Amino acid sequence: MRHTTQDLTRRAAAKAFAAFVAASPLLRGQIDPQRGHDRVPKLDELISALDFEAVAHAKLPRQAYNYTAYGTDGEFTLRRNREAFDWVQLIPGAVSSPTPPQTGLELFKTQLSAPLLISPTAGHLMLHPGGESATHQGATAAANTPLLVSNNASQPIDQIAAAATGPLWFQLYPREDLNATREILDKAQASGCRAIVVTIDQQASEYERELHDRHLTPVSTRRAPARAPLAPSNPYRIRDRRLWYTWKYFDQIREMVKVPMLAKGILTAEDAKLCLEHGLDGVYVSNHGGRSIDYGPSTLEVLPEIADAVAGRVPVLFDSGIRRGSDILKALALGATAVCVGRVPRWGLAAYGPLGVQRVLEILQAELVQAMAATGRPTLASVNRSLVRTDFS
Amino acid sequence: MSTPIEEFVNTLELESAARQKLAPDLYALVAGGDRRAFERITFRPRMMVSTRELDLSLDLFGQRHFAPILIGPIAQQQRFHPAGELATARGASAAKAGFIVTSRSSSPLDQVAPLTNAPLWLQLDATADPDRAKQALQLGVKAICLSAPYNWAAVDRLRKAIDAPILLKGIMTPEDAKSALQHGVNGIIVSSYREASPPMANSLDLLPAIAAEIGGKVPILIDGSFRRGSDILKALALGARAVLVARPVLWGLASYGDRGVQQAIEMLQTELARDMAMCGLPSLQQITPACIKVHRR
Repeated sequence: MRHTTQDLTRRAAAKAFAAFVAASPLLRGQIDPQRGHDRVPKLDELISALDFEAVAHAKLPRQAYNYTAYGTDGEFTLRRNREAFDWVQLIPGAVSSPTPPQTGLELFKTQLSAPLLISPTAGHLMLHPGGESATHQGATAAANTPLLVSNNASQPIDQIAAAATGPLWFQLYPREDLNATREILDKAQASGCRAIVVTIDQQASEYERELHDRHLTPVSTRRAPARAPLAPSNPYRIRDRRLWYTWKYFDQIREMVKVPMLAKGILTAEDAKLCLEHGLDGVYVSNHGGRSIDYGPSTLEVLPEIADAVAGRVPVLFDSGIRRGSDILKALALGATAVCVGRVPRWGLAAYGPLGVQRVLEILQAELVQAMAATGRPTLASVNRSLVRTDFS
Repeated sequence: MSTPIEEFVNTLELESAARQKLAPDLYALVAGGDRRAFERITFRPRMMVSTRELDLSLDLFGQRHFAPILIGPIAQQQRFHPAGELATARGASAAKAGFIVTSRSSSPLDQVAPLTNAPLWLQLDATADPDRAKQALQLGVKAICLSAPYNWAAVDRLRKAIDAPILLKGIMTPEDAKSALQHGVNGIIVSSYREASPPMANSLDLLPAIAAEIGGKVPILIDGSFRRGSDILKALALGARAVLVARPVLWGLASYGDRGVQQAIEMLQTELARDMAMCGLPSLQQITPACIKVHRR
């Protein structure tokens, strides 16, 4: 029916509008707390880190959400990273600890209150206007959790460093030009970064969700995920700017790095040994959160062979799939010195800014304490393989 | 408006395009696949190995192949696209991929052969007619395939008649592989495909035992639901020299003709190249069983 001004009285219009509002799912969402997708829950309503993903998903443009979520190709490894934690079971002890569990440790001469750090991830401005500075503030508020600043951060390292006081590390993508490498490393170290993590994987990855998203309007931040045009001109049409990597690079840049240096992306015992041969100060087990090679192994299933190869000579860091305190405990039991989380603080930042980063890290820290208490392990030193039963195939 | 072909980001997506083009009875012939064996294998990626000079090429029977991916034999391709084998040959040539045309081609071999600059092989039917093989060799075909079921008398007759490489397709046991060597064939194709058959054991699961029997004496090729570059790398790690791809090519052919054939093959070449780069494998010679881990589930 088409209304004209003559037959639509104020009263009829108000009545029609009231009926429209009453029937609207938006109103029902406000009334019914079970319909959480129609309102943003308060920070203290969220129980686990996984709860933050739904809020981040609701708040972010699709590309920014997908950039955080996706894995390589068919995302087999992305899924396997999570499945692998189901293949490890915690074995509780019978004797209770006389004191609350202590999660503190010293890592590269920095005292940490928990074996938890923030993995380097790119472009936090696409998640929140505060960018990496906001992440640094949230991390610092969460008991000085170290933040590994990405080489592809959306803010300059000195700006991020000035935003809060918690420890920073720096992640480097190798540059074939050694002078360019030196410039980046000098700046990071001048800003107070206490360790350098060199990412050696993700040499030629493609993300199908991103390819599907490429026609959407770009996310309006200073650093949306920028992509080269499709189909590079080499014979196999693959991205080739990272194919030059060799172990020699670590020898070439060693004198540029005055702080501990680690290789990130180790998935085999053989490469862990090569890290030691090339004088690296730590081994970082990672498959880039399922964003390097698809059908690569989950990091948890290769952690034991790498820990065996390293044999306690240097710290072993671990990431790709940690979502809960029990996940942290499983990784520590299988040989990790400390773990890193990448997507988890991104969800926190996107959902609630610095407070979200702080809260989601505190949830993981508290869950780790609970898991240690429940299994009867009073300190990190008492966490070992006897704590778990593994069923890797 | 149909979707521009550049929008397809993997071969699996081409299946849905083919479904929209093909009548249900034809689509049923080329639908799906059994990919469970691939899901049980993960890579052991080695880092910091330069792959700047990445090279996927290989030599088969004295002929250079751009990559270890060939288009498998499919009869009567005009069922799927009006240009049939003519389009497939053009697509194969554009993608620089070997093409195994069949003796039941919709178009005669003398029309198909000139359309590709890439290696061309012929699959003969069970009669294995030596005269047909000789005619094909004169038209530029480089190898002759016989597809199971065949009988050894026919294999021996063909062996006596031609010097060109002969491959037996359909080998699934070490015993048959051993017999194939005794009958003087130059290569085998591990394949469980039989016309109008119920689902059979997966060829990839049986490859290691066959590769052990062959012991490098002749090249082993394989087919069976290869849809990803990573699938191909796994087969190469288990002892295959190259793989045959059929359904993804037909999906491309049905929906986009020769351009679809090219796209399907090129996506697999690209994925294989990326996976080799990220496993630290600059050429096919470096691929060994140590590159993978086979899981129970």
